[in-house]
Amino acid sequence: MATLDQKSPNVLLQSLCCRITGKSEAEVAHQFQYAVRVIGSNYAPTIERDEFLVSEKIKKELLKQRREADAALFSELHRKLQTQSVLKHRWSVLYLLLSLSEDPRKPSSRVGNYGALFAQALPRDAHSTPFYCTRPQSLALGYGERSAGLSASVGTSGISSLGVYTLNGPTATPQSLLAGQPSQSAAGSSQTLGSRLAWALPVSCSPSSALAPLAIRPPLGPPVPSSRVVRPRQDGEVSEATLVRDILYVFQGIDGKFIKMSAQDNCYKIDGKVVLCKSLRDTSSRLSELGWLHNKVRKYTDARSLDRAFGLVGQSFCASLHQELKEYYRLLSVLHSQLQVEDEQGVLVCTESSLTLRRLLVWMYDPKIRLKTLAALVDFCQGRKGGELASAVHSYGKTGDPQMRALVQHILSLVSNPILSFLYRWIYDGELEDTYHEFFVASDPNVKTDRLWHDKYSLRKSMIPTFITMDQARKVLLIGKSINFLHQVCHDRTPPGQITAASNSADTPRDAAELLSDLDGAFQEKIDAAYFDTSKYLLDVLNRNYLLLEHLQAMRRYLLLGQGDFIRHLMDLLKPELVRPATTLYQHNLTGILETAVRATNAQYDNAEILKRLDVRLLEVSPGDTGWDVFSLDYHVDGPIATVFTRECMGHYLRVFNFLWRAKRMEYTLTDIWKGQMCNAKLLKTMPELSGVLHQCHILASEMVHFIHQMQYYITFEVLECSWDELWNRVQQAQDLDHIIAAHDLFLDSVISRCLLDNSSRNLLNQLRAIFDQIIEFQSAQDSLYRSALEELTLRLQFEDKKQQREEEGQWGVTAEQEAEEKKRIQEFQETIPKMRSQLRILTHFYQNIVQQFLVLLMTSTDESLRFLSFRLDFNEHYKAREPRLRASLGTNWGRRSSNM
Amino acid sequence: MASAANTNLNAVRETMDVLLEISRLLNTGLDIESLSICVRLCEQGINPEALSAVIKELRKASETLKASENCAN
Repeated sequence: MATLDQKSPNVLLQSLCCRITGKSEAEVAHQFQYAVRVIGSNYAPTIERDEFLVSEKIKKELLKQRREADAALFSELHRKLQTQSVLKHRWSVLYLLLSLSEDPRKPSSRVGNYGALFAQALPRDAHSTPFYCTRPQSLALGYGERSAGLSASVGTSGISSLGVYTLNGPTATPQSLLAGQPSQSAAGSSQTLGSRLAWALPVSCSPSSALAPLAIRPPLGPPVPSSRVVRPRQDGEVSEATLVRDILYVFQGIDGKFIKMSAQDNCYKIDGKVVLCKSLRDTSSRLSELGWLHNKVRKYTDARSLDRAFGLVGQSFCASLHQELKEYYRLLSVLHSQLQVEDEQGVLVCTESSLTLRRLLVWMYDPKIRLKTLAALVDFCQGRKGGELASAVHSYGKTGDPQMRALVQHILSLVSNPILSFLYRWIYDGELEDTYHEFFVASDPNVKTDRLWHDKYSLRKSMIPTFITMDQARKVLLIGKSINFLHQVCHDRTPPGQITAASNSADTPRDAAELLSDLDGAFQEKIDAAYFDTSKYLLDVLNRNYLLLEHLQAMRRYLLLGQGDFIRHLMDLLKPELVRPATTLYQHNLTGILETAVRATNAQYDNAEILKRLDVRLLEVSPGDTGWDVFSLDYHVDGPIATVFTRECMGHYLRVFNFLWRAKRMEYTLTDIWKGQMCNAKLLKTMPELSGVLHQCHILASEMVHFIHQMQYYITFEVLECSWDELWNRVQQAQDLDHIIAAHDLFLDSVISRCLLDNSSRNLLNQLRAIFDQIIEFQSAQDSLYRSALEELTLRLQFEDKKQQREEEGQWGVTAEQEAEEKKRIQEFQETIPKMRSQLRILTHFYQNIVQQFLVLLMTSTDESLRFLSFRLDFNEHYKAREPRLRASLGTNWGRRSSNM
Repeated sequence: MASAANTNLNAVRETMDVLLEISRLLNTGLDIESLSICVRLCEQGINPEALSAVIKELRKASETLKASENCAN
């Protein structure tokens, strides 16, 4: 570098002028002046001081000219140059060479124009600045040293720095020297910016410029034509090109030179101090909205993409946003390269193809709408995850704008991808891989297998995406639940592929987008198919391997006393045991009796699997209880069956059994009573004094028989058979286990409520219990009556026998005292009869009272079948005649009917 | 400085050769003398953009001048 002698730039410039034009120093004076002005005014380069960039540009240029070999050669030369430390400003030299380079294949088209321009312009300059002709060395080109600081602070753009310089000057810079000359306007448009400004300089007044002395002087030549003094340009105005460069940075969320993020307004704003015409200001502020939108989306993705707890759905949402941003960046890079191409051509820019704010406004219109949608989405999805997020995205897809819809649809297909893959895993394999609780099926790991069906899995309502209906969600839950149930409870190891045919086909979330577009069709079909197959398979397994329906029937036969011969026999066998106090009962004895009863009746032909589960159970004993009160049949359920016959269900069954057992016992007791009456009627005919009492007994007994018969009829036909029929129909039609469970629960509920076992009919049940108690009491009263009567009868018969015997022996039949004794006994017996009668009367009275109350309660009951029962119980209006309350209520209900009759 | 220049003479020549070659590659149309002037200007911190503009202008001007002279002749 040292060898490059430190001649003044002016001298060098002059020799350059001479060299290029091939003229002597005097002849090139004008050209030299022009050169000095251009160099002096364009001190700061408009380009990056980057050697690498320049070399790359050169290579690109060479490649553009299809001179690959030369490009390689250049790289070689450039490397060599880099090893030398002679040059300080390698980039500068290279840049100079680049800008001077010409495509050898393309003849320069602009030469003529420039030439003409230069030729015309020169004389004018000669007029205005004759001063420079003589001593070029005196011109101060070292201007850069003084203004370097200033230019550096303003930036690298020579044009903008020029604008700042002229701020100091009071006079306006003519916008264009050539604008007023129509003949040259074409040339003006292709004119380089630098030279244009250089032409303009002499007229401008710039005190900091080295040309100051010249400018202060009034022009000596002919007056400047008025057409050349064009509309004054505003001081310090920022050029559009600068703004475009700024805007491109703002698009990426980077503060530009003039357009900066304003923290308080939360938007990009042009520096208020910058002088700018209103339209440019408006346009750029409209454009800079993109930067704000970009920042918003970017902030969201940056914050969430590393948050693992955000879940897979969230991650895919971020990924889709990233994808969109990538598209956006691609566009920006295209714009940047466009800008670079303009830079590359340096000052030789054609304004027709260059980037302007208006062009940007048009080009960025679509990206802006996309970004706006994304930003709105981001806003809306804030704080949501999983299915909720998908719902949020989906709700944005409901728009009339097809482009926006397509965008949202695309994002949705990405977002719903993980959800669909969860879903497929769940409905085909029954596996839940939802680490971040995003899927709408939740699993409770604390639930044991016995409650698996009921409690383990549940729907997360908030996570159901809106594009999946509640019905579909329920089915999805059921499908996976069924599979898990089969695996864990039924220990069924059938591979899922054999359960559902659909899972064999390639069902990957790949086709998520297609599925989403056809939610009602293909998706619904898929879920329906899986639901149908899985449920059917589950029911098959339950029926085939676990005899669900057989167990259901067994419940009815044994716990609901459907197997009449067995129950009757069991009662016969149990009777002597059950009359004993409850504390003296032993389970093993009763179990033995049960076995005997099973073996003796048709129950023995039942499935061994069922009989094995039948057992005796003693309820809790309270003081004074007899065996009847605590005895109960039991049915053991476990495994998959227990899902239908849950603990609560079994509790209900036991209560119903208890009730039915009691009613059955009444029937049984009344049968005994009737038997006693029939057997003893003939015997006691010889005791006419008893006939009144016996008649009373008969009447009461038949009243009771009637009542119990009607009750039994009601229980058997109105309650059990009807409910059973409904249950059976439902079970036959059931599509999944839930249907069976629901039908079974409904069945039990209706049986419980109609057997008066629920809370609302507690009064009725108490009355019924009281009636039952009266029957038991009547039985014991009648028993004691018969016992004493029969005792008396045998005594009398014995007396007669003895009398007869003695008479046969030829003795006196009876002695006087014997006869007196006999008479006295008979007397005594007859005296007990009124007591019996009154006891019976009291019993009858009580009984009828209770029945009447029961009827009143029945009449007021809301259940129609109960009202019918009351009608049946009082079909001959016997009780109505006695009970005014009954009459009143019956009157309202049956008044019209009886009047009609 | 002079002794350093002597030792670096070869380096300078080499550099100039390389630059000339590049100039030829890029078809700049500069001869060795103009090139060396330009390099010196650049080394003094002249804006290459402006310099290239000047050179282009100068060429065109000289061409037109020649052409007009030819026409005049």
